Amino acid sequence: MPLIIKDEYPEMLFRKDGKRLDGRDVNELRPIKMEVGVIKNADGSAYLEWGNNKIFAAVYGPREVHPHHLAKPDKGILRVFYRMATFSVFDRKRPAPGRREKEISMIVSDCIEPLLFLELYPGTSFEVFIEVMDADGGTRCASTTVAALALADAGIPMKSLVSAIAVGKIDGKKVIDLSGIEDKAGEADLPIAITWYNEEISLLQFDGDMDLEEMNEFLDLAKDALKEIHQIQLDALKRKYIKLQEETNKPKEKNDKKGEE
Amino acid sequence: MMDVKRIVSKIERDYIISNLKKGERIDGRGLWEYREFQIESDTIASAEGSADVSLGDTRIITGLKYEVGEPFPDLPDEGVCTVMAELLPIASPLFERGPPDEQSIELARVVDRGIRHADCVQTKKLCIKEKEAVYILFVDMYVINYAGNLIDAGGVSALTTLISSHIPEGIWNEEKHETEWTGKYLTGKTIVNELPFVLTYGKIEDIILLDPSLPEELVCDGKISISVTEDKITSIQKSGAATFTIDEIKTLGNKSLELGKKLRKGLNLLQYLSEIK
Repeated sequence: MPLIIKDEYPEMLFRKDGKRLDGRDVNELRPIKMEVGVIKNADGSAYLEWGNNKIFAAVYGPREVHPHHLAKPDKGILRVFYRMATFSVFDRKRPAPGRREKEISMIVSDCIEPLLFLELYPGTSFEVFIEVMDADGGTRCASTTVAALALADAGIPMKSLVSAIAVGKIDGKKVIDLSGIEDKAGEADLPIAITWYNEEISLLQFDGDMDLEEMNEFLDLAKDALKEIHQIQLDALKRKYIKLQEETNKPKEKNDKKGEE
Repeated sequence: MMDVKRIVSKIERDYIISNLKKGERIDGRGLWEYREFQIESDTIASAEGSADVSLGDTRIITGLKYEVGEPFPDLPDEGVCTVMAELLPIASPLFERGPPDEQSIELARVVDRGIRHADCVQTKKLCIKEKEAVYILFVDMYVINYAGNLIDAGGVSALTTLISSHIPEGIWNEEKHETEWTGKYLTGKTIVNELPFVLTYGKIEDIILLDPSLPEELVCDGKISISVTEDKITSIQKSGAATFTIDEIKTLGNKSLELGKKLRKGLNLLQYLSEIK
């Protein structure tokens, strides 16, 4: 539910007991829920709830490139479209995509591309559509995470998954996974993604100020949190195959039922 | 992945039609039967009301936002409620990204007209100060998965969103000449009066069926959507290249009132009223 008074930032981002406003410790993630195969029409899809963020990602491809002149004769192309629903933020967002959405689309696309074997798919395109239904800070990281999951769900060969998170500084303390209000009222924000096949950084942005020592600490903090997120991604994928296995193991009953209906 | 295409093969078409002639549908439903509705309300924290509605495999998420603006000069004491629909490219390979096309505009328009002409939204209650400030409500529908009959799913989705709404209550401050917030909320209880339902029928040759699924929709010559309240027809939209006889329209009008009653009772949308005070 939205606040009645607009843009009122709290004076303190920590409560008296030392916890953050939503009751978390400095190195605690918000609750995260992931599920694959949520959109039946898509080649691959995933849904993510990360705190109050609610995001769908769907993959279509490899398919014919439209418009045709974008096709490359020597490799496939990856196109990512990040969009926010008009009601996903406090003030209604205009329905047409803005500059911010185009920038994030590009950032996510660049982050994911190293994972794919695009050279195996000349003349085709992979399209990843990301739709943010509800936003509460860290949507570019959440979108990257869920997009990687949707690609994996589509069965597209990948070197590994990629996971992303924002770390930052609020009221002088280093924290992981900034919420919307912490992002706006905090001092520093550093979204970061790691591709797991080489454990290297594939997305990195920063706004704020930090010294060298702080930067090193941020990177270490992020890596620990990302391991947790990677595990949640893997679990979501595994659940799909466990479910498939269970369904194929009991085909008899189901057929009988169908006949009755 | 579901098999989604623009054209249905001759074999599939003949199969659908020969079954319909026996009074059977490929998913086992009767001609006047809906697929199952699944409704969740108030799922979006950033919106002032929302609904996540599935009709079979068709899924639409709708959210409500508001602004305070000036009323139209010819309706100085009435708020405004607008409906927008977007066919997201995630929902089907048939949907392309980009500005709204005919299909999404039709969806928004038919749902909007169903609501507008049925005394559903109490626009006079959405007035803060005559000629100065009224609420402008935006009901925005996003199609998440497309498996036929977006209009009926959209209608229920928009209605549930309005019922679940909770909008900060404003009063006019004469001295400052601006709106002030009381800390209370206007909810669906105040805003919504009538509950109009829109029912869509497909026509294939001379067979008429309720709630066409995607393969049926692709085979249909045309469709007709009829919005009904408890005892009145409030809006009709015929679309596609089918023609309907006058008798058929009369039957459908009758059928819509009857099926609308059943739907009203079955879905019991008033259970989704927001409890915020």
